[in-house]
Amino acid sequence: MTKGKEMKRCFLLAGAAVLGCLLAVTFVFLPADAQARNIKVGIIDCYSGPPAVYANDALNGFKMAVDEINKQGVLGSKIEWTKRDTKFKVDLALNMAKELVMRENVDVIVGTINSGAAMAVSEAISKKEKVPFIVWISKSERITGEKGHRYVFSTGENTAMAGKAGGVALSKKPYVKYWIAGDDYEYGHAIASAAWRNLKAKKPDVEKIGESWWKPGEPDLTPYITSILAAKPDAVIFCTGGRSMTNILKAVKATGMAEKVPIWIHTATDHAVLKPLGAEAPEGVMGTMDYHFYYPDSKSNKDFVKKFEGLYGQAPGFPAFHGYITAYFIAEAFKKAGSLDKEKFVDALAGMKIESPVGQLEMRACDHQVVLPMYLGITKKEVGQNFVISTNIVTLTGDEVMPTCDEIKEARGN
Amino acid sequence: MSKRIFNLKSFGTAAGILVALALLPPILPRFYIYILAVIFVTALLAMSLNMVVGHGGLFQFHHGAFYGVGAYTAGLMLTKTSLPTWLALVAGPFAAAFVGLLIGVFCVRLTRLYFGMLQISLGSLIWAIAFRWYSFTGGDDGIHGIPLPSLISSSTGAYYFGLILLAVCLLFLYLIFKSPFGATLQAIRDNPERCEAIGINVRRHQLIAIVIATFFAGIAGVLFVVVEGSVFPDLLFWVFSLEVFIMCLLGGWFTFAGPMFGAAIMVSLRTFVGTYTEYWTLILGIMLILLIFFLPEGVWGYLMEKLGSQKKILEKEHG
Amino acid sequence: MDLVQTITFPALCSHLLVGLSRAMILFVVTSGMSLVLGVLRVPNVAHGSLYMIGAFAAFSISHLFGGGPVGFWLALILSPFVVAAVSLIAERFLFCHLYEREHLMLLLFTFALMLILGDLVKMSWGADYRSIMAPEFFRGSVTLFEAPFPRYNLFLLVVGPLVAVGLWLFSNRTRIGKIARAAAVDREMVGAIGINVSWVFAFAFVLGCFLAGLGGALVSPTVSITIGMDHDIIMEAFLIVTIGGLGNMWGAMVGSLIFGITQSFGVLLLPQFAIVFPYLAVVIILIWRPTGLLKSVW
Repeated sequence: MTKGKEMKRCFLLAGAAVLGCLLAVTFVFLPADAQARNIKVGIIDCYSGPPAVYANDALNGFKMAVDEINKQGVLGSKIEWTKRDTKFKVDLALNMAKELVMRENVDVIVGTINSGAAMAVSEAISKKEKVPFIVWISKSERITGEKGHRYVFSTGENTAMAGKAGGVALSKKPYVKYWIAGDDYEYGHAIASAAWRNLKAKKPDVEKIGESWWKPGEPDLTPYITSILAAKPDAVIFCTGGRSMTNILKAVKATGMAEKVPIWIHTATDHAVLKPLGAEAPEGVMGTMDYHFYYPDSKSNKDFVKKFEGLYGQAPGFPAFHGYITAYFIAEAFKKAGSLDKEKFVDALAGMKIESPVGQLEMRACDHQVVLPMYLGITKKEVGQNFVISTNIVTLTGDEVMPTCDEIKEARGN
Repeated sequence: MSKRIFNLKSFGTAAGILVALALLPPILPRFYIYILAVIFVTALLAMSLNMVVGHGGLFQFHHGAFYGVGAYTAGLMLTKTSLPTWLALVAGPFAAAFVGLLIGVFCVRLTRLYFGMLQISLGSLIWAIAFRWYSFTGGDDGIHGIPLPSLISSSTGAYYFGLILLAVCLLFLYLIFKSPFGATLQAIRDNPERCEAIGINVRRHQLIAIVIATFFAGIAGVLFVVVEGSVFPDLLFWVFSLEVFIMCLLGGWFTFAGPMFGAAIMVSLRTFVGTYTEYWTLILGIMLILLIFFLPEGVWGYLMEKLGSQKKILEKEHG
Repeated sequence: MDLVQTITFPALCSHLLVGLSRAMILFVVTSGMSLVLGVLRVPNVAHGSLYMIGAFAAFSISHLFGGGPVGFWLALILSPFVVAAVSLIAERFLFCHLYEREHLMLLLFTFALMLILGDLVKMSWGADYRSIMAPEFFRGSVTLFEAPFPRYNLFLLVVGPLVAVGLWLFSNRTRIGKIARAAAVDREMVGAIGINVSWVFAFAFVLGCFLAGLGGALVSPTVSITIGMDHDIIMEAFLIVTIGGLGNMWGAMVGSLIFGITQSFGVLLLPQFAIVFPYLAVVIILIWRPTGLLKSVW
């Protein structure tokens, strides 16, 4: 065989092989066509590593709601869902979100705890592909703030709200000299700046005497506490995320810091954090949270909690609450839209109001953020409970803590 | 007899694959086009790594650092400055090669494991800087929504851009592989002391190889920005670098084309297995162990050997 | 903030102590890694995973025995053995067959092990945060140098040197320790005089992993026990053994001390950028001495 012919043969064989392989792969992995078209929800979240606690909680809340909703169905069909594990990696999150949108053809994407992933998916997929994306745990205020757009929604509280709640609450106290410390990543800094911004606005004479930042998950926070105590602030604001929360609470307890100086931490009163600590959690720490399973002590909340405990063996945390209301927002929005069209869904969802275990909740139209109350409380070990809970709870309504629609417009540069 | 650089058979094969890939976008669903584009990026990265690992024998444990530098340079220039797009894209590989040179200068003083550990240490510092300096690099969030001309940022646009870039880079890498420099590098890999003895400046050669490899890693980084439109610190994390290492192993690091196939297999498996189970890392670990025990020459290396020995048998039989 | 005001003698001392106690945990963990690195010449990427298993095992054992002081001590003693058992299984069934192969394969094997163990831990213990408490005696703090110093950290300050002394006695006074040291330097020779090198390797590996488990168990009352602990510690461990001198156990001690103390002082001097200090120390040391401060074993 001549060299030229040999080359051509290889050329054709190789080309055919590649085409054949790829086409085979495509058709093997092509998802089956659903006959009766169900509503498809794609969940991307982190089910590996420390954040998995929250992701699983959210999924459980979501599942419970979907089962309830599917009893009657939505527009004659049911809600079906599928989940993907992002392992807290942004590139995996993007990959999987694209897969959900382009291959599974989901109607709505839902997730995630990782702020970076949430923003990446929001920009690169939700906005570009025009697919609604509901963020349910990630707390970055940029998601519905400066980086918000038509297709992204949030059913969780964000750092702006938490910061404002903290700032407003602390401005009512007589403390002047503050020390701010926390996890050295976006969430930590976002809470710090939101809290300080609001505190300073309401009480101009407050003074920031120092800051400390540590690696998220840093095991021994004692040296930080020692140096903070040495500076003798009037109060301390800790800006820690889920990972370091247990570590800081343990260190606070071990050094007896809560007895020496007032402390405020957002999500300090979160049950997922306090439960494993049991009686070891420090008392007297101020915390804010947007959901407690024991407060408000209303019948609807109690029923919700009881059903959840029956299904999953533990009380729901704030992610479960967010997951639950997300499902109901989706169902109600499709019902109002009257069809599975994504644009109609987005129009219906903006401004939507639903009934939740804690009362009526609204998805604010100007920024697609759910108006959630903040509960400010102080940790205390109640008699008869083997863990610490939030007491002396003061409720700040959503309107008190959320940035105004004008502030959102300004942030988005509209 | 002059040694031909291009074996006609393999040239034909490569051209065939290229044309087939170029024809795909109209027929394949969008998601697969996207995955192929991701494969192009990863393949380029793996091929650049193999230059120093497979051909050079260096323990380049943190190649991802240079990939990340390339990506971040492009991403930062596109979002923070109003310089033209092409400039940002070109700056990426140069920045990566520069960092490669800096780190390389320290690392080539050492050998083998020391080289690798030092590189992980220095590379981790870069990761730490990107991760903490949120006001500049976006910190752990990364930078998203990087503006790119729609010609290259759309699904098919990115695909073709990646395909062309990959083909051109592969050509260069192949030429280097077959050049006297490439031969020297492989000699150094096999027996550095002997090379020193015959007067070759081992360190200089290794440093040059590192700079070239990191330049191509930077190109892969820029391509990543084009395909995904984001950058984040995970790219700089050493665990990712070890995954790229595995791709080279999986493909076969003594062959030229092996790492590409390793990259393709890893990306495909990761994407598709990930849709069925959340324990993808477990499966990856088991796969790696099977590879180490049963297929150390890699998938492609194994195939090449098989085909090579088949040919020999045929030739023997036909006299 | 007034820097002069903060750098008082008591402040320096109290931060020194805190840095030391952190360094002790780092030492227990990295000494194990150094041991494996020295004898087998391979950095055990799965070392962090074994540390994590040690912490989780401590949790389970402590709960099995009621969670009180008895549970804690039993957990501290037993969990390193659990981890050692896991590593022995991995070693005898899989790892030992690779000793004849090139080092890169061994490294990749430990990487595969890290991937597998990470997911196995997730499957066994789930994703929830776990926590265990030190016994009453160790809770709370004493006031040293005008600052509260957790009692548990005092315990660590005692345990660390004990482990160091134990390891020194082991490697210098016991037969098997001396053989291990010899095998690190020249394995062919050790094999030539009739000693089964494979068993020496097995022993070194298991002991190294035992130390990782011990580190995990020791750290567990002070942190939240979660999946992901492996990734955190392994990077620090790598940096420490690199600056200490590959394979050198005293190098691990030096590296741990540098790491722990620079971080602690960083908090005192510039708390905003405290995390930069250990990395800065690493850069300076590596530029000045790329092979590490102490001589490598090989």
